[in-house]
Amino acid sequence: MRRLWIAAGLLVLLLCASLANGWYAGKLTGAMGEQLRQAQIQAEQGNWTQAESLTRQAYLDWQRDHFYFHTTMRHSDTDQILRSFRAVLEYVRLQEPDQYNAANADLIAQLELLAEMEQPAAVNVL
Amino acid sequence: MFTGFVRTIILYILITAGVRLMGKRQVGELEPSELVLSLIIADLASVPMQDYGIPLLTGVVPIITLLSLTMILSVLTMKSVRFRTIMCGRPSIIIANGTLDQREMAKNRLTVDELLEELRGKGYTDLSQVRYAILETNGQLSVLPYANQKPPTARDLKVSVEEGGLPRVVVSDGRLLEHNLKALGHDRPWLEQQLKQKGCRELSKVFLLLVDEADGVYLAQKET
Repeated sequence: MRRLWIAAGLLVLLLCASLANGWYAGKLTGAMGEQLRQAQIQAEQGNWTQAESLTRQAYLDWQRDHFYFHTTMRHSDTDQILRSFRAVLEYVRLQEPDQYNAANADLIAQLELLAEMEQPAAVNVL
Repeated sequence: MFTGFVRTIILYILITAGVRLMGKRQVGELEPSELVLSLIIADLASVPMQDYGIPLLTGVVPIITLLSLTMILSVLTMKSVRFRTIMCGRPSIIIANGTLDQREMAKNRLTVDELLEELRGKGYTDLSQVRYAILETNGQLSVLPYANQKPPTARDLKVSVEEGGLPRVVVSDGRLLEHNLKALGHDRPWLEQQLKQKGCRELSKVFLLLVDEADGVYLAQKET
């Protein structure tokens, strides 16, 4: 009977860990996405220095949680986000509105998709 | 992680049910759930091993999930007869009182050729010798011949025979297994005496020495 409880406990633990992972990924990427949206608003108002500062903060947050993302998400997805961050930072530094807007929107979408993949939803399971 | 966790449970249940529906002939010696586990686990382990772009956790989570499910199923199978029947099925009587049950054969996808092959493997070339043939849940065929087809035993012949007991390995490739010698209630001088009687002077020249509970000794010397 003890084996049954150990196995059931392991399953519950994995279920909780996967749900917590979904929530945590959503929280992290949501915060970064919000910072990038704020940066875009600042850029549209011509406040490029503030936009660059917000984007860089989001990038630093991404780098801070690099270990977590790299150990739980597909490396191709995380690498793509890293490349997009670098591109957005470059466009914001050069103050190129069109390319910055397109690259920033792409980066926000990638972050949303990354978290969405981990959400406990029937669409993901199927 | 959640997707991997839920998908693993769904696929495991689906494949186990599929293997159960395949019938006992395809199962071989493993129970359906064990077969499924061995089928999936090797593949799951190899993917993160070969593809460095996938986190190790994507392999580890499904493997732990599968092992936990198998552990739960094995405990439930032991505890509940009904669950055991669902998971492993019931043995099928293919030949009952010398009569072939064609419906059971069809149910288990067992062809006449396969049945005859299995019976030949058990030493029965003639169906009329067989009273019962039972296809077990692990896919093995158990055969019970008619009483007049069974080889006579010592009891049938009313002959008294000595009980040899379980033979133990005492010397293996020149090495003495002291715990086995002690378990048989003997010591080194007894062993040396036995070797002397068998014409072997050194322990290092013994390839295999077996001793049973009635002190019967089998000795094989090393080839020179």
